[in-house]
Amino acid sequence: MKARKSLGAVLFLVYLACYAAFVGVAAFGTFAGGKPDGGLATTAVGGLPWGVVAGIGLIVGAFVLALAYAFFGADANEGGEAA
Amino acid sequence: MIYETSTLAIVVFAAFVGAVLALSFWLGSRARTSGGYFAAHGQVGWFVNGIAFAGDYLSAASFLGICGMIAFFGYDGFLYSIGYLAGWIVALFVIAEPIKRLGKYTLADALNAKFQSRGVKLVAAVSTLVISLFYLIPQMVGAGALVKPLLGLPHWAGVAMVGATVTLIVATAGMVSTTWVQFVKGTLLVVICGVVVALLLERGFAVPSTPIPADAVQRIEKSADGTSVNGAPISATNQLDSRLRAAHGTGFGSVAALPDGAAATGPLGPIAYIETFAGSTITTWQKGTGATGETTFTPIERKGSDLLLPGANPTFKGVRDDRTWLKLDFISLMLALFLGTASLPHILIRYYTVKDAAAARKSTVVGIGAIGAFYVLTLYLGIGAMTSGALDPTDSNMAAPLLARTFGEGLFAVISAVAFTTVLGTVSGLVMAGAGAVAHDLMKDVFRVQLDDRGQVRWGRIAAASLGLGSIALGIAFEKMNVTFLVGWAFNIAASANLPALVMLLFWKRTTKEGVIAAMSVGLIASLAWILCSADTLEKVYGYSAADAVASALVPFSQPAIVTVPLGFATLVAVSLFSARSARPRTPVAVA
Repeated sequence: MKARKSLGAVLFLVYLACYAAFVGVAAFGTFAGGKPDGGLATTAVGGLPWGVVAGIGLIVGAFVLALAYAFFGADANEGGEAA
Repeated sequence: MIYETSTLAIVVFAAFVGAVLALSFWLGSRARTSGGYFAAHGQVGWFVNGIAFAGDYLSAASFLGICGMIAFFGYDGFLYSIGYLAGWIVALFVIAEPIKRLGKYTLADALNAKFQSRGVKLVAAVSTLVISLFYLIPQMVGAGALVKPLLGLPHWAGVAMVGATVTLIVATAGMVSTTWVQFVKGTLLVVICGVVVALLLERGFAVPSTPIPADAVQRIEKSADGTSVNGAPISATNQLDSRLRAAHGTGFGSVAALPDGAAATGPLGPIAYIETFAGSTITTWQKGTGATGETTFTPIERKGSDLLLPGANPTFKGVRDDRTWLKLDFISLMLALFLGTASLPHILIRYYTVKDAAAARKSTVVGIGAIGAFYVLTLYLGIGAMTSGALDPTDSNMAAPLLARTFGEGLFAVISAVAFTTVLGTVSGLVMAGAGAVAHDLMKDVFRVQLDDRGQVRWGRIAAASLGLGSIALGIAFEKMNVTFLVGWAFNIAASANLPALVMLLFWKRTTKEGVIAAMSVGLIASLAWILCSADTLEKVYGYSAADAVASALVPFSQPAIVTVPLGFATLVAVSLFSARSARPRTPVAVA
């Protein structure tokens, strides 16, 4: 129970940091003088804009963290099964 | 625009909706006790509950609103998808298990578990009702938008008809049927949207037969004599897009130029689809006002790569400005989306329909998977709607159904029916949350009306009917607003009113009932007042011009969460410390 709480807190902080970084880059690091300049406007791997990669990454990342929490955070008396 | 009705679409729609209603009534007849009516006896399996989470959460705002916002403004709509999904992390890691352990039927149960206070119950019930009502408005607006093209009805008739039907269902049924309606809807929504995206990828992109010149302005004017389009009365053969289609073989929203000058791409993979869009030039349409006061739509060519950046929508335009304070609207909304999900009463009550905390956790994971899959699909649906020549420039909420229509009437009918069940599923959850707040919290615990089990269910049904009817009136009043924008308000209010109390109750032992009551009251009133005094509301609700709205607004930006959430936390801490000190027995002073 206590270990699961700690795991949940760590995973929450990891995601919060990623989300805050995304919002910060979108707000302060993507435009200069009204023109696209770095941040989400740059091209990532595969020719996709970073905005799309980061956005889909946050969505997929949330599911990956949720799976990790369900798998590693399950108590023995709950049967230890993942969702 | 006016829409031609299709017999096939109506038949498929009626069959689909009839099946859902039959399921709802059949299961609803089983809910005789308050435990069954409000919480499905706590016996719903975690997987079914997880998909029902998706059915509950993926509202008209997610389906109609986000697709429409992406279709009109590009990446800004996808920001809502990201924020809505991210909020589930707070629900899973912070709220899910404690709320299951603390509560029984309603949000107020959980908040009041430690205090047994009528004041906490009252303020939590009021908060639930306000948030549910704000969330109900966009569902009704979405319902009205939906039946317009399908049945050829005006918006108000659509809202009234759909609202009355939905209200009847949820007032007679309970949480068991609501759960299954949401399960069916959640499954259908993800699967059908997946099918549409697969068809989009198979079709790829194509440019119109002849380019659309910059002076191809389309005009629509409404007067006492009726509506005219491009100088002639509107009719089945003279619609807003008729001239465009005749001259260029496409309607509103198309690709002006593909990479390397290609005329069409053929089938594309998911990555190549986005990559090709980013390298293309897109014809978008800017709304304006003409010399005689008519509404104009002017073609504007924009780079696909620019449409995949934030800041095209008025709500987010500050992102492209160098002045920091103009970015606060965007940051505040993203904060509200992140914190609001875990504070929505209709989502929280779904934790009471499973048997224990482990099931609550597992069902959240399933919900995140289904909801996340859907939100990735919204990006493709929105881009597809933006480039398929099927947009209605007067109504962003219709983008997804009209996109489906480009693949045939059958798919349009199925999508419309799924969208209807989307409204039905979410409204069911919202009305259940409101009904619980009235019957269980207000009537029984605050006003101490002696109610047996059947009495609680009866009051729940009366409250459900009242809430539904009220939301019909508001759905008509808010017709012109994008439903996603409206849901943003509900998230701001939920995050401001409920989250500080929930989090501090769970993680700060010195929280007092006075602190909870004060924080919820301040968060609710402050966020509501902020929204009602904002430039967005002045412009879109009170009818001010954009310039007058900015000049007259009493608050510097429109999204309140960045101010009102910290205000809620600060209020709770201050009042809890003060009330704990006041309650402490004083040490007698020795008298010499």
